[in-house]
Amino acid sequence: MNKEIDVAEERVLGELRKVRDPDLGKDIVSLGFVRNIKIEGASVSFDINLTTPACPVKDQMRDEAEALVGALDGVTSAKANMTAEVRKAPRMDKSSLAGIKNIVAVGSGKGGVGKSTIAVNLATALSMAGASVGVLDGDIYGPTMPIMLGVTGPPDHVGNRITPRESSGLKFMSMGLMVKTPDQPLIWRGPMAHKAFQQCLFDVDWGELDYLVVDLPPGTGDVHLTLAQSVPITGCVIVSTPQDVGLQISVKTLRMFEQTKVPILGIIENMAYYVCPHCDSKDHIFGDGGARRAAEQIGVPFLGEVPLDLPIRTQADAGVPIVIAQPEAASSVVLRGIAERLAAQISIQNYNTPVLEVE
Amino acid sequence: MSNAAGPTDPVKIKKLDSRNLMIQWADGHESRYVGPVLRGLCPCASCQDEDTGQRLILPIHIPDTLEFKTVELVGLYALQFGWSDGHGTGIYSFERLRQLCPCEDCTKASPGATGSAADD
Repeated sequence: MNKEIDVAEERVLGELRKVRDPDLGKDIVSLGFVRNIKIEGASVSFDINLTTPACPVKDQMRDEAEALVGALDGVTSAKANMTAEVRKAPRMDKSSLAGIKNIVAVGSGKGGVGKSTIAVNLATALSMAGASVGVLDGDIYGPTMPIMLGVTGPPDHVGNRITPRESSGLKFMSMGLMVKTPDQPLIWRGPMAHKAFQQCLFDVDWGELDYLVVDLPPGTGDVHLTLAQSVPITGCVIVSTPQDVGLQISVKTLRMFEQTKVPILGIIENMAYYVCPHCDSKDHIFGDGGARRAAEQIGVPFLGEVPLDLPIRTQADAGVPIVIAQPEAASSVVLRGIAERLAAQISIQNYNTPVLEVE
Repeated sequence: MSNAAGPTDPVKIKKLDSRNLMIQWADGHESRYVGPVLRGLCPCASCQDEDTGQRLILPIHIPDTLEFKTVELVGLYALQFGWSDGHGTGIYSFERLRQLCPCEDCTKASPGATGSAADD
């Protein structure tokens, strides 16, 4: 009975059909993730091409696929190479932004909830996972991102096109870069804000980006409406504190996005608790679990809770996002997890959005 | 709340000719709109009083010969038309457009939402 068993591609595919992407709810063969099957005698290798390099279940899928194929009769070794290619949002085709696959807005109800800190760290975490990422600081009245990324001075331009600055692996643009001195305020009425934001979005040579993270000003104003009307954004994330007063206003921002059909990718709770540096005890200063309950009530994903700790603030002031400066800090671990869950929600959204044909 | 595609999500928008527009929705329904009728329902502030909602432009003010010049998407939620009379500030949300579907089934289901003679 030692007849050599021929390992046909069909049998490998048959096993791989048992591996499901838990986010998209389908098997990886039907989703078109399996590529490049190579069978050399008893060794099988193949690629699994995921929808994001920041996939939270990457290792689990690889182990499962290798175990299933490795258990086939006649196979002695199975190797899965994990690759990733971020899919473009189905409606993202505005010509001047043609290189951008997904635009993700980060908003909040009230100010001071740490929205920019979260946005810059999520963008950095996605970039560290291997994605190409840009950040647009849309808070034209109170731009804080130049400080958080340690960037000053105006960007270069080629003709009418602005070259984004680069820092911490991100392409970056902010109105804060355009003022002469950091303490110079912008005193503008709505129409100017609208025009300035459009310029920061459309006149910048973003190049090829998997994700452009747009940090919005707090509330529901000109910039939000401009963004919702000018580009088919993949979705938005709402940052809130656990406090009721903050949450109620966050829901207003969420409703505004809903009215303009911008999908809500999830809610993030910031300043969820304070960890005492002396005794490691947790203090829920602003209340416990408020944003999680709100997300459950409204029926949107809850992406995670970020603790209030000293390093996240000092790193922001020092111009290096904490996920790079102190990757092992508690808040960095949490932020990376949130970035992965966000990337998964983006993939789900793109998968479920019907293609729109316009003739 | 759900991000899933539904009856107010378009899957196909097609200008049939200079006066007729077709929208196919994610639930499979197909709506056919006549340009001059949509123009008469323009929701912008110069065609409809912002406070009272009273119509300042009525369908009877719109010539039958009016044509679509441009049909543009507004983000993910609406269409904006450029008309041959030079007007173009109205933003028609997909939700509103679905309500305005002039087909027999839809007008029966919500009479008066169609901009038919009953609205004048």
